[in-house]
Amino acid sequence: MEVDVELLLNTKVRDVDGKEIGRIEELHIRRDDKSCLVEAYLIGASALIERMSAWTLVRPIQRSLHSRNLYSAYRVSWQDMDLSDPLHPRLRIAKRDLRHVP
Amino acid sequence: MNLVRDVLDKKLLDREDCPMGRVDGLVMHVGERSQPRITHIRIGGSTPWMRVHPAFAKLGAKLARLWGPRRTEPVRIPWSHVVTAGRDIKLDVKARNTGALDWEIWIAEHIIERIPGGGQEEEE
Amino acid sequence: MKKILQISLGIVTSVGGFLEIGSVMTAAQAGAAFGYQLLWAILLGTLCLIFLVEMSGRLAAVSKHTIVEAMRERFGFPFFFIVLIGMVLVAFMVLVAELGGIGLSFQILTGIGFPWWAAPVSLLVWLLMWKGTFGLIENGASLLGLVTICFIVAAIKLRPDWSSAASGLVPTMPHMDKAHYGFIAVSILGASISPYLMYFYSSGAIEDKWDESYIPINRLIAGLGMTFGGVLSMAVLVTAALALRPRGIQVDAFDQAALLTTTALPKWGFYLFAMSMLFACFGAALEISLAIAYFFAQGFGWNWSEDLEPSKDARFSLVYTIIILLAAIPLVAGIDPVKVTMVSMALTAATLPLAIVPFLFLMNDPIYMGKHRNGWLSNSVVAIVILISFVLAVISIPLQIIGG
Repeated sequence: MEVDVELLLNTKVRDVDGKEIGRIEELHIRRDDKSCLVEAYLIGASALIERMSAWTLVRPIQRSLHSRNLYSAYRVSWQDMDLSDPLHPRLRIAKRDLRHVP
Repeated sequence: MNLVRDVLDKKLLDREDCPMGRVDGLVMHVGERSQPRITHIRIGGSTPWMRVHPAFAKLGAKLARLWGPRRTEPVRIPWSHVVTAGRDIKLDVKARNTGALDWEIWIAEHIIERIPGGGQEEEE
Repeated sequence: MKKILQISLGIVTSVGGFLEIGSVMTAAQAGAAFGYQLLWAILLGTLCLIFLVEMSGRLAAVSKHTIVEAMRERFGFPFFFIVLIGMVLVAFMVLVAELGGIGLSFQILTGIGFPWWAAPVSLLVWLLMWKGTFGLIENGASLLGLVTICFIVAAIKLRPDWSSAASGLVPTMPHMDKAHYGFIAVSILGASISPYLMYFYSSGAIEDKWDESYIPINRLIAGLGMTFGGVLSMAVLVTAALALRPRGIQVDAFDQAALLTTTALPKWGFYLFAMSMLFACFGAALEISLAIAYFFAQGFGWNWSEDLEPSKDARFSLVYTIIILLAAIPLVAGIDPVKVTMVSMALTAATLPLAIVPFLFLMNDPIYMGKHRNGWLSNSVVAIVILISFVLAVISIPLQIIGG
């Protein structure tokens, strides 16, 4: 099945229990000679900051607010993402099992 | 590497450093059990307009059928042609042969070159 | 030697970018209505522009990307498209005003109405872009624009009370006509902080193949160049305060603005005014047309350069051809360029956030800027400019209606 990556961005993701996780903001890929494999999906506000390369702006704000986790993101491995319906991506696992990325 | 930050919307250059548009879209092949792969880069057509709103894509397609090279489908470049992905994305293709310059060539031949002083689009 | 030449030419370039019909008419109206009270608006606009232009040049020199290219890549196509719409609509109106300014200059010189000049003037602008190179446009129009120094000469000859003038650098509210005062202040800021100037400047840095070694020169050009332009605008305001305000002349028409120089320079003032406006508006028309074409080409990834033959960057050439053609139409129809000027300046102010907000992200992007990222001072200035731009965006249209 072919999926348009640019249309996948900003779509809301729910976990296996139907709980909302966040929106897909970035994809981690690995280039391998002539191919390009998707390793993981980044979901959440921090992922948007990563995509915008805006950490140099945000970190000073985080520091001044003494907040380590002002924004959060989840890194979802490709095996845990179900894209059979690209308009409504779902995880194959529950939110509690997700890896939190600072 | 980050796909959105480092690839999407980046400028594309062919093997002779000729600009051939931007990465307007990316096609990902998703299998039942296999790791998803990025298979194609998409340039032009309705691709960027779909990101704004499908109505723009429909309007763009209607206009593209009325004049110009009458190309409505985006250009698809297999990912295997990507040489480097740094400041710009360099492809191991010749821009002219991909269809990415169809509009540029059509406008040059049908409009620009008919105006005195417009010059001549070189055939290679 | 080449870099010294570039500095001096770059400073001169600011004439075409900074002083044009919008800045002249808004400064003249400000001086005629409120004396020196709105000098602070020109000062504020100039300071903001110095920082923004410096950042535009630095981004291009370090990242080898123009503002538009970097904005598309970081913010994506949908955001780029929104900015494109806003920028093109407003820049188009400003282009109509500038072409109209050239036409009005010919009108006061020849007595032939400006609608008759619309077509030949537009053709001339287009021809220069069609056949000229970036260097010719950048340097030629700017050198001719040096005649605008006559405004400084006129201001000095009228012997202003410099301490009174200096007091105008501090914001104060007038006792009457507060809405009109606010409208002119907003228009001055809109005329000063012109996004098309930043897009043109960053594109020019790429056309001139700047690299990191140009960073110090870029600072000089931005600082001295924009200051030069700001001083010219202030000279217009001071001249209006001394030549027009005592006589109760409000600058509603272009030929009233000619009194700016005829009072101080009776013999040559009229011709100097006409030539100043002619060359300043001509330079601005070229810059705006190029800025719009650059915006399309860079955003969509087309081939672009003013140094190429038109057939080699066909889509880029087609955009400026169509834009100039369309801009001539309202003028041929007789629409008053002065009215278009005032509306377009207010609309520029209203759309500033779209142009300025991306700066904050791009200038702090480690991938684009490396070690040349913004320091705390530049970031503070950008943050203040963003705040000002949002305030302007909210108040400009209501003020246009009430006080315009």
